[in-house]
Amino acid sequence: MFGRMSKSYDVVVVGGGPAGLAAALGALESGISRVLIVEREPEAGGILRQCIHSGFGLHHFKEELTGPEYAERFITKVIDRDIDVVPQSYVTGLAVDSEGTRLVRVLSERGGLSTIECRSVVLAMGCRERTRGAVRIPGSRPSGICTAGLAQKLVNLDGYLPGERAVILGSGDIGLIMARRLTLEGCKVEGVFELMPYSNGLTRNVVQCLSDFDIPLHLSTTVAMIHGRDRLEAVTVAPVDEAGQPILEKGWDVPCDTLLLSIGLIPENELSLNLGIELDVVTGGPVVTSTMATSLPGVFACGNVLHVHDLVDFVTEEALRAGRFAGEYARHIRRPQDTISLVPGQNVRYCLPHTLSPDRTHTIYLRTKKKLQPCLLKVGDLLERKLRFVVPAEMIHLTIKPELLERFYEDRLQIDLIPLTE
Amino acid sequence: MTTRRVQNYVCTSCPIGCPLQLVHEGDEIVEIEGQECNRGAKYAKQEFVDPRRTFATTVPIEGALYARLPVKLSAPIPKHLMMAAMGEIRKLSARAPVALGQVMLRDVAGVAGVDVVASRTIPRTLCAPDPRAESRA
Ligand SMILES: Cc1cc2nc3c(=O)[nH]c(=O)nc-3n(C[C@H](O)[C@H](O)[C@H](O)COP(=O)(O)OP(=O)(O)OC[C@H]3O[C@@H](n4cnc5c(N)ncnc54)[C@H](O)[C@@H]3O)c2cc1C
Ligand code: SF4
Repeated sequence: MFGRMSKSYDVVVVGGGPAGLAAALGALESGISRVLIVEREPEAGGILRQCIHSGFGLHHFKEELTGPEYAERFITKVIDRDIDVVPQSYVTGLAVDSEGTRLVRVLSERGGLSTIECRSVVLAMGCRERTRGAVRIPGSRPSGICTAGLAQKLVNLDGYLPGERAVILGSGDIGLIMARRLTLEGCKVEGVFELMPYSNGLTRNVVQCLSDFDIPLHLSTTVAMIHGRDRLEAVTVAPVDEAGQPILEKGWDVPCDTLLLSIGLIPENELSLNLGIELDVVTGGPVVTSTMATSLPGVFACGNVLHVHDLVDFVTEEALRAGRFAGEYARHIRRPQDTISLVPGQNVRYCLPHTLSPDRTHTIYLRTKKKLQPCLLKVGDLLERKLRFVVPAEMIHLTIKPELLERFYEDRLQIDLIPLTE
Repeated sequence: MTTRRVQNYVCTSCPIGCPLQLVHEGDEIVEIEGQECNRGAKYAKQEFVDPRRTFATTVPIEGALYARLPVKLSAPIPKHLMMAAMGEIRKLSARAPVALGQVMLRDVAGVAGVDVVASRTIPRTLCAPDPRAESRA
């Protein structure tokens, strides 16, 4: 029930975004019945509440939904199944008592500080955006600079326009979508500037969010300087050399009052760090086994807190699984320990989960370090698949069946992406 | 005799994004090149004959937790009508409660059968709106 919180549960889910909602439903599937979702915002849905454009659900529902529509399907299910959701509440910590009961500390707007007992916990806190500090743009510190996701929230939930003339740094999908959104709202978008020689967003978004509105996309170009005293007045943009350093002599000034940063996302792991959970330096999220278990017993992770996803459909799929295993854990069902570690090889930035067990089917997620067209995906000597096109912005997923691991006796399985020439 | 012209497109049917060249004489398509599969030809043809787009935006809403209600078009409309549609939607406003799929405007930009619909349910809330919103207004 929305707004209800009891003293004790089987599973507590931290975060009510798509990952948390699916994890709660997954937990029920494992046969338990008492599940709580703790969400710091006034309503569930997470980042999807502000992603009003369509493009969600093509894999999971086989139809194209907007973010709010996708979220609502899961919120409805969660409410129908009598899962408790407590809004405006923040999980601040977690402890384990001598009997193995997990004690979740919740700070809530109405109830103050309380401690909830449970058997297992799912982390689904999502991610946050990288800010200007993370890329160190020189110049003054006027107002008018914000992340693309924050601008998205201001425009789509609160109904404010961040400015009248905008420059967007970074060509990821959020930046592209905001270029169209601001243009539709009557704002002039001067251009999107991307450090890399290619766009980080989907081709569809480049065409429908930029080309359709004659917004220029400058590749291998960055914002090199920020100007303005109180309010942003202009930015200097410049092409970059091979090392990614701006060539200032070739730069030019673009007058603007708004600079949106769309320069990447980082998993939100403050809580995990405080709990001493082992994190992966590449993904920025917890190290997990094939049951999505973190290094802290009884604590599971899924969604953007684990690694940044580009498609919410995969978030849902991963979270359903994490929820199921968390539910099993609450019922004292223990799966055999994983025996194989999965390691990234040539051209692979990361692959998940970190370990596998030969007894069941696994879904593996990986990302390439660079664009390869075409390439050969190799999973040890077990599996080879030709891929026509891979880019860092698009996660690769594959299924490994237990038959494949039946005669695999080693403890290390490496994944490679080997470039092919046509 | 009409002269041959070339139209360039980027296929958006899959992430590869093939650059396409459509050669035409007036309204007649002569040939399409650059596609790696036949979905590309279909895409270029559609773009040449009748390019359509859909988009999402918001309308102001009263009596809700947040200031805006997200809306979308029920189907794509001709590309050149996007701004006209946006102009009509800008005149709308809503009052909570609103149901998912509720029609906010029929036949947007004069396109028969295409409606502006709510893309979420918004219950009526009794709590005060965000105090930050008032101080900024
Ligand atoms: C700006 C943006 C645009 C995107 N656009 C697209 C798109 O167009 N198409 C697509 O398929 N995918 C898109 N994505 C990706 C997709 O939406 C995300 O992958 C998905 O929302 C991730 O779900 P999540 O539940 O892991 O995280 P979130 O949706 O971020 O949810 C996390 C929730 O946890 C809550 N929380 C965090 N910490 C705590 C705490 N300590 N206590 C209580 N609650 C807490 C937060 O308030 C939030 O509600 C986008 C992502 C972002 C950030
Ligand atoms: S033509 Fe085929 S391969 Fe090329 S972008 Fe379109 S769908 Fe993809």
